[in-house]
Amino acid sequence: MPLVGTRNLSDLAAVAPVVANFDTERLEFPGARILQLMYEIDDDAMVSLLPPSLHPTIPPTLVFTVTHVPESPFGAFTVAEVRVGSRSGARPRGLLVHGFCDSADAVEALRAGWGYPLVQANVSLQKRYDRIHAEAHHGGHKVLDMSLLNPEPISGNDLQYLASLNLARVVRDGAEQTRLIQADPDHVFHSADRGQPQLDAFDPAAFNVAGATTNYPVSASYAVADITMPTIRYLVDPSKPPMLSVERVG
Amino acid sequence: MKFGIFFEISVPRPWGPDTEYNVYHNCLEQARLADELGFDQCWAVEHHFLEEYSHCSAPEVFLTAVAATTKNIRIGRGIVVCVPQFNNPIKAAEVAAVMDIVSNGRLEFGTGRSATWTELGGFGADPDETKKTWDEWTRVIPKMWTNERFGYEGRAFSMPKRAVLPKPYQKPHPPMWVAVTSPGTELDAADRGMGSLGLTFGGFSEQEKKIAEYRRRIKYCEPVGSFVNEQVNTVNFLFCHEDNEYGANTGKRLAGTFNYLAEQLLAARQAYPTRSYPNLGLLPALRRESTSAPEGNIPEGLAIGNPDRIVEVIRKWESAGVDRINFLLNAVETVPQAEVLASMRLFAKEVMPKFAEKREAVPAGVAGGE
Repeated sequence: MPLVGTRNLSDLAAVAPVVANFDTERLEFPGARILQLMYEIDDDAMVSLLPPSLHPTIPPTLVFTVTHVPESPFGAFTVAEVRVGSRSGARPRGLLVHGFCDSADAVEALRAGWGYPLVQANVSLQKRYDRIHAEAHHGGHKVLDMSLLNPEPISGNDLQYLASLNLARVVRDGAEQTRLIQADPDHVFHSADRGQPQLDAFDPAAFNVAGATTNYPVSASYAVADITMPTIRYLVDPSKPPMLSVERVG
Repeated sequence: MKFGIFFEISVPRPWGPDTEYNVYHNCLEQARLADELGFDQCWAVEHHFLEEYSHCSAPEVFLTAVAATTKNIRIGRGIVVCVPQFNNPIKAAEVAAVMDIVSNGRLEFGTGRSATWTELGGFGADPDETKKTWDEWTRVIPKMWTNERFGYEGRAFSMPKRAVLPKPYQKPHPPMWVAVTSPGTELDAADRGMGSLGLTFGGFSEQEKKIAEYRRRIKYCEPVGSFVNEQVNTVNFLFCHEDNEYGANTGKRLAGTFNYLAEQLLAARQAYPTRSYPNLGLLPALRRESTSAPEGNIPEGLAIGNPDRIVEVIRKWESAGVDRINFLLNAVETVPQAEVLASMRLFAKEVMPKFAEKREAVPAGVAGGE
């Protein structure tokens, strides 16, 4: 059967968000701008970045996403995420264990609502005619610098985003349990572009994916879309085998 | 209705020194038995880098071995990836001709373009280009076979006039097929007068509509080859056992394992935004249909269970317009080889005779396409 991860997430879970309940309401972020790059990574980290509940993609991949939300109940914010391409059983997913956001209010809301393991940092996204560029700075140094070069228009229907599995702790019967919370926002696209991916700076350790060495650019896309954040429906127990790890809660 | 077998050659982990050897030789044994039992075709895929799912990267070699150890079964190159980073059209024409000669005219020639980033990225192929190069190759390869000398100046491929040798043993050339995984490719097959090699598994309702449209459309085709190959060839799983419950459960395990492996691959569309791959192709949609069934039931279109149930399933496929069914017999050795062989024997004894008296499938190369 396919390879599975070997990573023990206990240490990271200790500082992961606590999600007290799963009754988060659907929430809309109109006019969001999303820059996404995919890179293949060295197979040395093929299983070491994932817990036993997830299979690596073949080839192993990282997905870099920077999203600017101009309007939300907690104001404008920009998020930088690096997710590990994976399969939860047969379903495509991206594991998120650490990310950055430039708004303290958004960090709090996204952590509490959907278990996004975010901390506050400087994150920016700029669209130019020759490139779309994003950066993230944390602890006084640049942890991410990525671009889409030479954007060319495509249809939003040509884009596919991975559902995220966010490392969090959930409260069950008064006790905390480590779980991956599935967040699979809906997107209604206003425009989309693709282009050449370029990664000028990436600190894997800053995103808690130490050992992930990018070795081959796959794709870059940029979209303007209305995002609807979902209600929480599925949890994954990261310590269990893939076929036994998924739990429906909604 | 004709029956065949279909090899992905999936190899389970852990990979010991003999694992691939054993799987390959199990497949060769299955092919020999299929020939003895009267199966009509033996197809093998071309896939690269698809860990466990398919270690069948040199199907022309495997199929030549099949041809050398069998007498009657036709050998299906299913498919030649018509993408220049994977293959070359001259070489593809030459290899096919040799296969046709050494098999005494038993070659079926499948064409396609790959559907995974795992493969396309591995070869450095541009996903935007694959449909275009496939279209170009399918037009030039039959001319290499039928013209004494052939020259061509095209978009992605050109050559000065040369004699592409040898020529196929079948005249004017082997039947040509298109692998149909993306919705709409069956229409491409029809428009070009090629057989529809459906690599989806199960699901009557979806495929019946496609077959009807294929039949309607091929009447007005502009054939790429020297004749129209109006035939619909689908793929299914086979596990036949006297005990229906055991057969169905084993068959469901086989289908579930295969589908699970398929979902681990990185589909082109999942990695690279392009109109060239408007959907996930062979991966989730129709395979999910093939294994979706109410709890405890058998998916409607799968040839698994006892002979009576399988006869019933095949009759439905027949009424949907299918000419041929190719069976996937195993996946990562989920089913022990002895049980695979027993399943084939029982199928040949109890099921195949029920369809022997039916209308003979029209020989490839002479049907339709007025």
